[in-house]
Amino acid sequence: MRKNLTRRAVLRSSTATIALPFLESFGFRKFASAAEQVKSPKRMIWMGMGFGVTADKWFPNKEDTGTDYAFPSILKPLEKHRDDLSFIQHLMHKDSQDGHSGSTFWLTGANRYAVPGQSFHNSISVDQLAAETLGQDTRFTSIQLCAREAADSGSSGHGPGLSLAWNRQGKPVSGLGSPVEAFHRLFSDESTPLAERQARLNEQRSVLDTVMSDAKFVQKKVSQSDNEKLDEYLQSVREIEVRLSKEEQWLDVEKKQPDPAVIEPGESLVGYEEMGVMADLMVAAMQVDATRVLTYRMPVDTMIASLGAGISAHTMSHYSHGERRDVSEMRDLYNAKFLARFIDKLKASREADGSTLFDNTTLTMGTNLFSVHTLRNCPTLVAGGGSGFVHGRHLVMGDEKTPLCNLWLSQLKGSGIDVESFGDSTGVIDELVEA
Amino acid sequence: MQNQIAGWLALFGFAMSSFLSCALAEEDERAGLEAEAEMPEIHFDVLDKYCLECHDSLTEKGEVNLEDLSFSLVKNIETAETWNKVLNAINSGEMPPEDEPQISANEKTEFLRDLSERMVIARSVLSDSGGVIEMRRLNRREYANTLEDLLGVRPDVSLLPDDQASSEFDTMGASLFFSSDQLEQYLKTARNTLELALNAKAPAESKTVHIEPEDIFVPLYADLAVKRLDTASRYYQWRANGGSDDIAKEHGFLDGWQAERSINSFKSSYLPLEKWLTAPENRSGAAMMVTIKSGFTSMKLPQVRAWQPGRYLIRLRAGAYEDDPERFRFLEFVRKEGQNSTRLGWRKVNAALKNPEIIEFEIDHAPGVDAIYQVQKRSHMDRGDKNLEAVYRKENTYGTPWGIWIDWVELEGPLPVEPNESSPSIISEKPKDQSDDDYVRGVLRDFAVIAFRGEAPGGEFLEKLFARYSANRKKGQEMKDVLIGPLAIVLSSPSFLYMVESAESDESRDLTGNELAVRLAYFLWSSPPDAELLSLAREGKLKKPEVLAEQTGRLLSDPRSDRFVRSFAYQWLEMHRLGMFAFAGRDFPTFDNAVRDCAAEEIYETFSTLMHEGLSLKNFLKSDFVVVNDVLAGYYGLDGVDGHHWRKVALPADSPRGGLLGSVAVAAMGSDGQRSSPVERGAWVLRKLLNDPPPPAPPNVPMLSRFEDEILSVRDLQKAHQEQPQCAQCHEKIDPIGYGMENLDAAGMWRDIEVVTSGRKGSTKTEFAIDPAGSFGQGNDFSNFFELRDEVAEEIDGFAMSMTEALITYGLGRPFGFTDHDLAHEIVSHASGHDYKIEEFIHALIQSKAFQSK
Repeated sequence: MRKNLTRRAVLRSSTATIALPFLESFGFRKFASAAEQVKSPKRMIWMGMGFGVTADKWFPNKEDTGTDYAFPSILKPLEKHRDDLSFIQHLMHKDSQDGHSGSTFWLTGANRYAVPGQSFHNSISVDQLAAETLGQDTRFTSIQLCAREAADSGSSGHGPGLSLAWNRQGKPVSGLGSPVEAFHRLFSDESTPLAERQARLNEQRSVLDTVMSDAKFVQKKVSQSDNEKLDEYLQSVREIEVRLSKEEQWLDVEKKQPDPAVIEPGESLVGYEEMGVMADLMVAAMQVDATRVLTYRMPVDTMIASLGAGISAHTMSHYSHGERRDVSEMRDLYNAKFLARFIDKLKASREADGSTLFDNTTLTMGTNLFSVHTLRNCPTLVAGGGSGFVHGRHLVMGDEKTPLCNLWLSQLKGSGIDVESFGDSTGVIDELVEA
Repeated sequence: MQNQIAGWLALFGFAMSSFLSCALAEEDERAGLEAEAEMPEIHFDVLDKYCLECHDSLTEKGEVNLEDLSFSLVKNIETAETWNKVLNAINSGEMPPEDEPQISANEKTEFLRDLSERMVIARSVLSDSGGVIEMRRLNRREYANTLEDLLGVRPDVSLLPDDQASSEFDTMGASLFFSSDQLEQYLKTARNTLELALNAKAPAESKTVHIEPEDIFVPLYADLAVKRLDTASRYYQWRANGGSDDIAKEHGFLDGWQAERSINSFKSSYLPLEKWLTAPENRSGAAMMVTIKSGFTSMKLPQVRAWQPGRYLIRLRAGAYEDDPERFRFLEFVRKEGQNSTRLGWRKVNAALKNPEIIEFEIDHAPGVDAIYQVQKRSHMDRGDKNLEAVYRKENTYGTPWGIWIDWVELEGPLPVEPNESSPSIISEKPKDQSDDDYVRGVLRDFAVIAFRGEAPGGEFLEKLFARYSANRKKGQEMKDVLIGPLAIVLSSPSFLYMVESAESDESRDLTGNELAVRLAYFLWSSPPDAELLSLAREGKLKKPEVLAEQTGRLLSDPRSDRFVRSFAYQWLEMHRLGMFAFAGRDFPTFDNAVRDCAAEEIYETFSTLMHEGLSLKNFLKSDFVVVNDVLAGYYGLDGVDGHHWRKVALPADSPRGGLLGSVAVAAMGSDGQRSSPVERGAWVLRKLLNDPPPPAPPNVPMLSRFEDEILSVRDLQKAHQEQPQCAQCHEKIDPIGYGMENLDAAGMWRDIEVVTSGRKGSTKTEFAIDPAGSFGQGNDFSNFFELRDEVAEEIDGFAMSMTEALITYGLGRPFGFTDHDLAHEIVSHASGHDYKIEEFIHALIQSKAFQSK
């Protein structure tokens, strides 16, 4: 007990002096080796836009490649960061078939029809794979944010899923639906005493143990093929058990508060305002090293509504001319504004070693849908120094069907994750690291 | 009845005999389909001429080898995927590469037609489940119904994923996933619902809140008017003083620009306010005005809290402005929970302003939610109401017609509950001579047996449940509160969440009576079997064909079968499309939310009417009646339909209504909210009515933008499809059907002229005469909508097959595959002998071997 108090005291005092963001991440056992770790950790963020962009305006002109390209005028707010970001054209998932699913397979590259006798299949998403390595030492292995949109908005072009993330079994991972939820998960400490929280964990374990008892009972009764279905249930129980173990490790460590502190967001934030607050929370989460892997399924329907559009996101995505097109362009502009502000904040945040959050982050904004129902040339914008990419360029891949998974693989490898391939990748994109 | 049962018995015998020859037939079926999925050898010439130079076994450019590719598409998934690549590459124009010889138009059309049609067959063969019905979990609807059945409280399931998104039908086991979040959400939802059920407070005392709207709206509007006048007086003073930017601040404006804006806002909003405030009737009530800044004059009633569940009554006294168009005489009743609002219904005010009437509207307030109920005008999507206000104001200076004046509004409730309506008891009374522990063990066991739909839980499971109870009981909590934990565990266990059908092996076997009861109840009610079904199952009677038929009839006539009607029709006919696009209020002023909601309702109510009245499915293709309420009758221009209930109304002989083709729902689903779409309509008719689905739209085919800047009729726009072979091969079949529906505009209203709006705010209007001539299938030419409808009505067998395939998929919970072809034919041929009555399809499926075996 005494030890714990001391450690907590140390951790708490660090907020008062300078920000030592990675400190909190050391579980007790790693504390001794703290001195050895000087390099700031790698971080990865993906933000999915859902419905596609205004086709003829979003990307720079295809002939105009390299560093001196003319910046797309509807993305003007981003231009100040042009040296620190790259557009990549000609990336796609060859197996994507759903013209309304901009997010379902965006980070996975899976073929929906790959499994005989099933009408839906997915595989692990790149963020979850990254989190298996990058998330080991943080309180949250990964954080999924997911704008909550009205049920009849046609999912804003994101497609099936609960966030951008899919687990090892290809099942959807849920997301935090509002800034308030995200705030509480990341920063509010419970006032309940430690013993009570430990008791609650034990209680949760007993609950799992009890449902497992029924699961095993069913297992013995049903056929082989039904057992495969039941396996999803068993797997879910195991996942919760893993999470509970992690919670237990962190049970006596207070959640670290960013400096300056984030204020609890209001309940009513929606659309563009919500995006700003979500960005602030993501920055704060990384400042205190609560997590290193984040995804954000961005709002579309509520976003354009908050900007005064009188049409739904799906209606917008079928832009022709007139109002629908105006709204589509306005959305592109404000997404750019949002990203520019987010990058500002990442650049302004210092890690302990003097580098900025931006230097260590691999940031991607894009979607699986190019425009209307087109699934090739996925809009892709990458930024940040996390994967060692050389930025400031407009890359147009020679092969029009370069796997988007090649980018995911490049980012994984660039962030020090030991993988040979991802999805349908055929290799890394060498152009990204060559000047 | 006797005759009917004999018919079903005959069918049962037929099913038995056909079962014997079933294995053989299936093999034939597969062989037949495999032959159909064979690409004709002649197309090897196309590959040879245009593809093999790069994609032969030696070069394998892009790792694609077409030389050794099997022409049997169903050989395996890899073969099908390679052919799919070929299809997509040629469709999108990517192959052959630009600098290589191009496939001639004729060759291309035929190659693509053959290939895309064979892909459809190959997908169906390859995704066949081989007749296996996978164990499935309750979908979200079923879960909610089941919990309500067990606990008497409808759970809030908004946390759980909506299962309709990932597959064709939300009953398909293979697509009903499970994730760790879900398990936690099930536990949480069960706990919350159990809390509400077990800790139900004594019903709140009924009371009546009375509102005189003039008390609210006179001060509100007077205040607004004064503010507007103040703005105007400052503006004119500013103008008199020179009207420059420099002195704007002295007059309370930021700058000249803002001053001009303010006066415009005065001009548009003051007159309506003045008219309202000076109307004498608004001293003792309130007319339903639409304002630009403060929205509707809507009657918000006091919040009804989570702990005040029950039945409430909204009562109001209202009169109608007789000169206003009829659709302004409807009141819209709305429930608001946080951000979400739900329209509950509409009531028409018939009484004149001078002699108002009293209108009552009953609402059911679920426990556990805080909600506000309000009464308003009929609303439009998005900003439609505001845009329309401006349109009306241009005409009449005061904006949207008021339509209704309300004297007062009341909310009364919760109304006293009838004794037989009380909740099911979860926890029995404790006998005096029983120990606490024995009693609790009994409660847990009994609850688990009911929750597991009659299957006994495992002993170890029960012990662990009891251990959860006693651990917390020792901490000194109340018995009832402690029980919530273990009961919630029961409701989150696999035996509850999955429809468990035990099996020694993967071999098919007959269902037990109990399993049959479960499958039957979830098919027709989306909820668990009731006591009668379970006891028949226990006594071994349910599997007798005549008992099963009788029970099927009983379930269908129970109000719970409405759940089947709605979810089946919604998913089969792809009704989600109705909510996909926004219709601008300015372009479609009469297509408001009321019409859109009722348009969907018409389809369900028609299905229900056909089913309950023993009418033929043919009526869905063409009929001399429609099923409407007063809202929809108004939209269809049918006179003399009073009251909000749904009923059959005879149509005049020349009416385009009557049948799906002429319904507002189908027309609106086949549009993008602006213009009609012959492609969507034609493809829908092929898929749903003619059961001849065209290949799915290929991805990545460039949008035809050649005509983007030209103003053309919808029909002329489609001509672009005829220009390129890869488009023509499907569109020549799809588009002409859609042409026949061109007399129905995007919102389903009849038109003889197509008006295309363009320019800023739709100021330019161009008119085109409609040409509805077209054709479908072999030699079915039609010159107008009525001929199209007559010819489609001839194709009842195709339509019957379309519904049958959907019924099999929905009822058995697996994708319709070639394994099911025989079954489908049997069902259709049985139904055709009974005038295609909907209930006969259902009976035939339930009596089939497939439905009764695992």
